[in-house]
Amino acid sequence: MIDLSYYLGFIFSLYAIGLYCLATKRNMIRLILGLEILINAANLTFITFSAYAFPGYVDRLAHSIVIVSIGLGGSVGAVALTMIVYAYKYYGTLDITELKRLKG
Amino acid sequence: MTALFNLPLDILVLFTVLTPFVGWLALRLKRKSLIGLFAAVGLFASGVALYGMYAGVSSGSPVLSAPPSLFSSFFRVDMLSFIMAAVFIGMGLAATVYSVGYMEKDTGLPLYYTLLLAMITGLVGVAFAGDLFTLYVFWELMSVSSYVLVAFRKETWEPIEAGFKYMIMSAAASATLLLGLALLYGLTGTLSFEALASNPPTANAWLFITSILILVGFGVKAAIVPLHTWLPDAHSAAPTPISALLSGIVIETGVYALLRTYFTAFLAIQTQWFGILAVLSILTMTVGNLMALLQTDVKRLLAYSSIAQVGYMLVGFAVGTQAGLSVGLPALPAGVETALTGTILHIINHSLMKGAAFMCAGAIILRLETRDLKDMAGVARKMPVTATLFAVSLFALVGMPPLNGFISELTLFTSTVQAGVGWLGVAIILNSILSAGYYLRVLGTMIRPSMSEAVSKAKEAPAVMLIPIGIMVALIILFGVYPEPVMKLAQQAAQELLRVGGS
Repeated sequence: MIDLSYYLGFIFSLYAIGLYCLATKRNMIRLILGLEILINAANLTFITFSAYAFPGYVDRLAHSIVIVSIGLGGSVGAVALTMIVYAYKYYGTLDITELKRLKG
Repeated sequence: MTALFNLPLDILVLFTVLTPFVGWLALRLKRKSLIGLFAAVGLFASGVALYGMYAGVSSGSPVLSAPPSLFSSFFRVDMLSFIMAAVFIGMGLAATVYSVGYMEKDTGLPLYYTLLLAMITGLVGVAFAGDLFTLYVFWELMSVSSYVLVAFRKETWEPIEAGFKYMIMSAAASATLLLGLALLYGLTGTLSFEALASNPPTANAWLFITSILILVGFGVKAAIVPLHTWLPDAHSAAPTPISALLSGIVIETGVYALLRTYFTAFLAIQTQWFGILAVLSILTMTVGNLMALLQTDVKRLLAYSSIAQVGYMLVGFAVGTQAGLSVGLPALPAGVETALTGTILHIINHSLMKGAAFMCAGAIILRLETRDLKDMAGVARKMPVTATLFAVSLFALVGMPPLNGFISELTLFTSTVQAGVGWLGVAIILNSILSAGYYLRVLGTMIRPSMSEAVSKAKEAPAVMLIPIGIMVALIILFGVYPEPVMKLAQQAAQELLRVGGS
């Protein structure tokens, strides 16, 4: 079996990519994609550990978590896109740095 | 009949699903207030069902869900869960009744009440959860419905901007939390609180990383200071009943979830967290109070003061982490139990105080149609009942003696002295004095002799809004004058939190 550390390295680089995307990107749609990358990094961690917990078997707990989590990620994405539609209506742009009227 | 989850939660789920249909019918009959009434009936029924569980919970052993339920999700109701659920359902009921008056002119009311019930369902689910997976699912139910509720008045830009900020930060935090849970699962092979507590993972670098990820994940909802930036926007832009719920109970849920995880999974490394949590608590209350001093928008002011109040709760949490010192020893270190009692008590009290304060502010905003403090000069003459209730809840937030805020802050202060970290207690007192500055400014504006133009046309808020506030204010006074019963419940909750899974 492939060593666990490769998977963990991949997961943490995915997580870092997601955070980088959230911190630097200005387009709102890209921010949502960054969020989805973060969620996928977490899902992948569950899948990896469920395969390594009992060699030869997979743990059902982790799989049910991942399936539920994919559904939740989808609903967050839907809500986010709806808000982006309204934000576009009021600001006329997808640039997140324009959303700074609230201060203090 | 097999239950879906357990009775209070089942009732909430049922009413959440039925509300859109009832809402559609109510709009057909042109009786808007029926929807709110239906939601209130649901919350009340759930509260009654919750009271039915009291006998089982108060005996000291947690009530577990019957395993062969439909989703085989795992519930574990002990005194702490019971108190949290009671606060959630009570506040939800108050906010629903209040909404009947406040949201009268809005459209999309069936959606509003459905989301409100879904949020309460999520909150109660978080309180009842017996493992971190169940907790996560209900956590997301609560979060997603609160994003939509913050941006509910989508006709203007402000709620959309605030809602989007809130959603990005909160969803990133949820993903971080999920990664933390995944690592915890990798370390231990289980996510059940009892299994984690009876067999806590040993201290190593991975456990530290996990605890940091989980602190960030729950900390964004709890508005711990470097992670608080979404709160003042979201809490001031949301419709007022939702602000009251977000400030009164949603941020406390973050504190609750932190307590649950740190006192089960992270027992081995708990003591190392004391310093960090102490610094974070001082930072949180100081930043919250200083920023509140600068505000002119009354809802923003209350939102910042919520951050400060979370700081007080974190003090109890920080002192409580000293419990990790005594793993394997018969007695707990001094002050730990008092500190957790104080935190739980402050969660109950803060939800009452801040809920009442937000609702009073909302009543004034509804009549004046402005959120600026300047325009509220002399409002006490035109809305005497609202202003009196507002004054009582603000005095409670300052920590004035015969009111409930004083009791919980005193308990927290006592615990810091008992644990030998009096400087944390001094920070609470200094911050209470600082906070008096802006609460008294609000009061001073309300009783100013000159009336602004908006005020001269105002009239008293409708009774449907004043009744829930009145009940909450009565509870504020009752818990301040006669705190023993609540104190006893909070103490039992603290004791049970300290021995999840143990003995």
